[in-house]
Amino acid sequence: MLSKRERERYKRQMMLFGDEGQERLKKANIFIAGAGGLGSPVSIYLAVAGVGTLTVVDKDVVELTNLNRQILHNDRDIGKKKVVSAEEKLRAINPDITVKVIDTTIDESNCARLIGRADGIVDAMDNYPTRYLLNDIALQKNIPLFHGAIRGFYGQATTIIPGKTACLRCIFPSAPPKEVFPVVGVTPGFIGMIQVNEVLKYLLGTGELLANRLLIWDGMTAHAEEIAVVRNPACVSCGAGPASKKTPAVNTKKIPKGKKK
Amino acid sequence: MTVRIRFFARFRELLGTDIVVAVPKNKGLSDLIKDVASRNKEGYNAIFDEKGAFREFVILMQNGRRLETSDASEIKVADGDEIAVFPPVAGG
Repeated sequence: MLSKRERERYKRQMMLFGDEGQERLKKANIFIAGAGGLGSPVSIYLAVAGVGTLTVVDKDVVELTNLNRQILHNDRDIGKKKVVSAEEKLRAINPDITVKVIDTTIDESNCARLIGRADGIVDAMDNYPTRYLLNDIALQKNIPLFHGAIRGFYGQATTIIPGKTACLRCIFPSAPPKEVFPVVGVTPGFIGMIQVNEVLKYLLGTGELLANRLLIWDGMTAHAEEIAVVRNPACVSCGAGPASKKTPAVNTKKIPKGKKK
Repeated sequence: MTVRIRFFARFRELLGTDIVVAVPKNKGLSDLIKDVASRNKEGYNAIFDEKGAFREFVILMQNGRRLETSDASEIKVADGDEIAVFPPVAGG
């Protein structure tokens, strides 16, 4: 049940999706892999929207060079663990949600356990090896994966629904080379918002997802384009489709249109 | 016949985009992209390795359909084709 305070806090968005929608957000548990450039705007906007439980994982310490884009962290947080800084900010932003933070490196040994029974995984990582790991666990557990990545003024995003859409490896079978990537804060801000928008639609069971569609953003020309993507039957991650027959992790039944409170 | 080549992200910075090229019949896709990429050495090297093969992370699409880069030398282009060439971005 929503408290009086929550009804007031979410009043303006409940005009869009009512009590039922807000309750769905409140019941949801979203796993955010990374508290950096993407993880910052993603966690902030999921928090203000009232997604009930956020789990944020990161291993790093806040550095001065992070601050042009990692808006969860302030100047005074330099030297602090990112998850400590993230927890403080998110709790202050919305004390009506539960924020869990884990200070660790996501790897093969812990990934499945960390994700637990999350309703969705947000990819806010900065490397493909960990992304492939998130992808594999998402497929295994039948949890949607909201992918985003950026470089400079460019970004990409897609929504992966296990068993229904192309997975991350169908789209990107090989990782690009590692590098210290150039980035300006607006790019992860923009792509992070696409990811959050996808999470909200998924949880609300409304709208059209970026499913089997890779969105490519070019900030220099202000063009967003999309490329249709298809499952690769020979994909090493989802080719055999072991996750395809399980039931969805959350109720994806649509909210009837025009239902307002 | 003409074909439109679209580069994305880093490739676009080095090579430009929406390049319309006149193509002789039976030109292979791989050679076509090599010709266009040759206008900038750094751009060429970003897409192709020392042996002239596509780097393994390069994504290639013909009219929105994904192609295996290893098949690209065999694939013929048709008039009006749109070819997209892009690298996945990795940052977060």
